[in-house]
Amino acid sequence: MTQMEAPRIDSSRIAEVSHGLDRSEVESRERVFSVRDLSVAYHGNVALENVELVEIRRRIGMVFQKPNPFPKSIYDNIAFGPRVLGMKGSLDERVEQALHQAALWDEVKDRLKDGALGLSGGQQQRLCIARALAVEPDVILMDEPASALDPISTTRIEDLMHELKRDYTIVIVTHNMQQAARVADMTAFFSVDVEEDGSGRRGILVEYDATTKIFTTPSDKRTEDYVTGRFG
Amino acid sequence: MRVEFQAELDALEAGFQETGEIVLRSIRGVIDALRTQDVELCDEVIAFDDEIDDRYHALEKQIELVLARQTPVAGDLRLVLALLHCGLHVERIGDQCVTIAKLTKLSSHLDTRQIVIEGLVDMGERCAEMVKASLTAFANRDLGQARGLHGLDDLVDRANRQVFEEVLGYVNDAEALEWGMRQITVARCFERIGDNAVDIGEQTAFVVTGEFAEFTDASHDVRPPG
Repeated sequence: MTQMEAPRIDSSRIAEVSHGLDRSEVESRERVFSVRDLSVAYHGNVALENVELVEIRRRIGMVFQKPNPFPKSIYDNIAFGPRVLGMKGSLDERVEQALHQAALWDEVKDRLKDGALGLSGGQQQRLCIARALAVEPDVILMDEPASALDPISTTRIEDLMHELKRDYTIVIVTHNMQQAARVADMTAFFSVDVEEDGSGRRGILVEYDATTKIFTTPSDKRTEDYVTGRFG
Repeated sequence: MRVEFQAELDALEAGFQETGEIVLRSIRGVIDALRTQDVELCDEVIAFDDEIDDRYHALEKQIELVLARQTPVAGDLRLVLALLHCGLHVERIGDQCVTIAKLTKLSSHLDTRQIVIEGLVDMGERCAEMVKASLTAFANRDLGQARGLHGLDDLVDRANRQVFEEVLGYVNDAEALEWGMRQITVARCFERIGDNAVDIGEQTAFVVTGEFAEFTDASHDVRPPG
């Protein structure tokens, strides 16, 4: 993971970052995000340059596979971002609004001072979504947001995504094709190419199109094989 | 809750009912055209079929997307499959109306026989009632009303035979026979509309019970009681 500390990140390392974050990787990630003036390159082309990392975390709300509330109260989890950023307005109102948006308010309104770790897995994940919403991001990035949850909590998160997509752009990474088919308007199918000289594996974008097209008449044979379950 | 999925199912069902409603307008159009021998009204019914076809194709496309994206199962799956069948049935009813309108135009230069016209109008009105009842039965998942369609269809079949027997009497009058032969086909179209309404009733029963059974079977001489 030492490579991640370099100010330039290529696509394969971004893929690394987004998969299976354990504690040490999270710490590495924190180091990455502590670098100011980040540049992001994709296949050698610079996609983002001189990015202010604090700004990235504010503009892109992130929700991960495993719910990761801070070991603080429910209230303080939501209030954390707005406090750090010194956002104006009533903190109480902001917390309540974020919890409403994440469809969690009714379940926690009477115990806002309780520890967040006492919530169920599905509630914790909605708390993480509320925490992301509290800083008014442009985009919400969800990396397998329901894969660690039971079916009922999964349905709640998916209903929530339908609700939130009216106001936010949501990017969701999922291995669950039915989930992608159910919740997404646009779908991108990624795969890997193995270099013939054995030098490594390279992430590739196979197809990007309307979800309806991807799941009825995909253009690429590899996409069809994947969505029909004949591959992978 | 799968709010989005439920909304999509509701939209499919609403789309089917709307298509059914406009097909009913076509049926009423051809009944009026027959009664008044109105060629212009025939042209309107023929042109109107494009809208029915467009709605049917839109419904079919929506069903494809729901199947691909929502993977419905159990009762939801039965509903989606039934809507696919029912959409086709109402589209076919629209086509029968077009055929009736064309035949009415084709024979408009010939003298009409009131007794046959009255018989056809009566058939048409029974068919309109049946289609209306089939749409309501489907919407309300009303098994009793769906099964009742079979009894109404018997009346339509009987009227169809009466038209046929009446026209047989025209055998010595070439012009009357030509006109009458066209009307036999009109009667046959109405008879098919009645069958399509019964088919929608059968799909209603499938949605409710989970088992498909034809109320009657043309290839076997078996009729359920009543």
